[in-house]
Amino acid sequence: MRFVQEFRDPALGRALAGEILASVEPGRTYKLMEVCGGHTHSIYRYGIDGMLPDEVELVHGPGCPVCVLPMGRVDDGIALAHEPNVIFTCFGDMMRVPGSNGSLLEAKAQGADVRMVYSPLDALAIARRNPDREVVFFAIGFETTAPSTALTLRRAKAEGIANFSCMSNHVTIVPPLRALLDSPGLEIDGFIGPGHVCTVVGARPFGFIPAEHGRPFVISGFEPLDVLQSIGMLLAQIAQGRCEVENQYARVVPWEGNARALEVMAEVFELRPHFEWRGLGFISQSALKLSDAYAELDAELRFGVPGVRVADPKACQCGEVLKGAIKPWECKVFGTACTPERPIGTCMVSPEGACAAYYTYGRYARERGISV
Amino acid sequence: MVVLSADAATGLAVCLDGERRRRTVETALLEDVRPGQTLLVHAGTALARDAA
Repeated sequence: MRFVQEFRDPALGRALAGEILASVEPGRTYKLMEVCGGHTHSIYRYGIDGMLPDEVELVHGPGCPVCVLPMGRVDDGIALAHEPNVIFTCFGDMMRVPGSNGSLLEAKAQGADVRMVYSPLDALAIARRNPDREVVFFAIGFETTAPSTALTLRRAKAEGIANFSCMSNHVTIVPPLRALLDSPGLEIDGFIGPGHVCTVVGARPFGFIPAEHGRPFVISGFEPLDVLQSIGMLLAQIAQGRCEVENQYARVVPWEGNARALEVMAEVFELRPHFEWRGLGFISQSALKLSDAYAELDAELRFGVPGVRVADPKACQCGEVLKGAIKPWECKVFGTACTPERPIGTCMVSPEGACAAYYTYGRYARERGISV
Repeated sequence: MVVLSADAATGLAVCLDGERRRRTVETALLEDVRPGQTLLVHAGTALARDAA
């Protein structure tokens, strides 16, 4: 695959790892947070953490949209799926996310018409083919997927497809980063920035991290050489006493982002006053709901949802994992009561979840007592 | 994904994903999408070109 294999070259990876080792200052440690779940997946899949010196520790951030969705929103979605005459559509990784009384997959087994889609456009196509049914799209994701939902809603409105609606669970990445940075005792020395989010929002929204919090931020691609180079760039900033936003992923990410995407998002969405994040609690202006101009396509208004707040299972420590406070394997139920086949927490469901990524790629090496 | 064909009028393109499956992709967020280009696609929408 073009533009992929070039960034997986083992020899170049070893060379970058050597540069990282050489830039480590004796006697100090570095804790770097990878914000995006896609990076977590790459780090475990390619054994990147095993290529780093002991002084460099990677911590997982809140950038997995499935993982941060609170249980109450899952319950709201399941309630919508059970509405008469509804075809409920969602991305595949939502299907097994546990609510307080089962998952969407279990709702489907009980008779609800729940369908997995690849994109919101697929959901709209289902609405066109089923004009006598109500088709609800359960939208999740950060600024990477919100433009797709927005474009689909714009199409639905333009075509007058009245039997289509959307339950928006879209979230934005900057507010939880602010919340993390404002939390006491945070020991993060730098951030591996979410490359795909930045294709939409650009680099500027992250300028507050070096400016107000004194931490470097490097926008990173997702292949192993991207991640290793980004780690090297963070260590170089620290060594040189610099603190700024840098763009390692310049082959894809324009500094200003994608103006068209921002425009359609601003047209279709508006910020919610507050939204609950799993593990992080309520964060102001951190999520998107449909704007007044698109209210007729808002499933929450069309059907009403219970909106009940549900506490996470006590055994589950997803919240601590999402804040980088513990590693996946330090959770009490990791790999025993909670596995990808029978997940208790969201971090074990999505491939981008830290627990699922570690369970899939990292645990074998750890069990064998060798570096990953 | 690699663009196989693009239709500016509809804002849609047919692309080949990493597993060589054909996908219809929304391209309204990019200008001048052409066959052969490599696109970064999320949830069926092209967000950027890969200019590597």
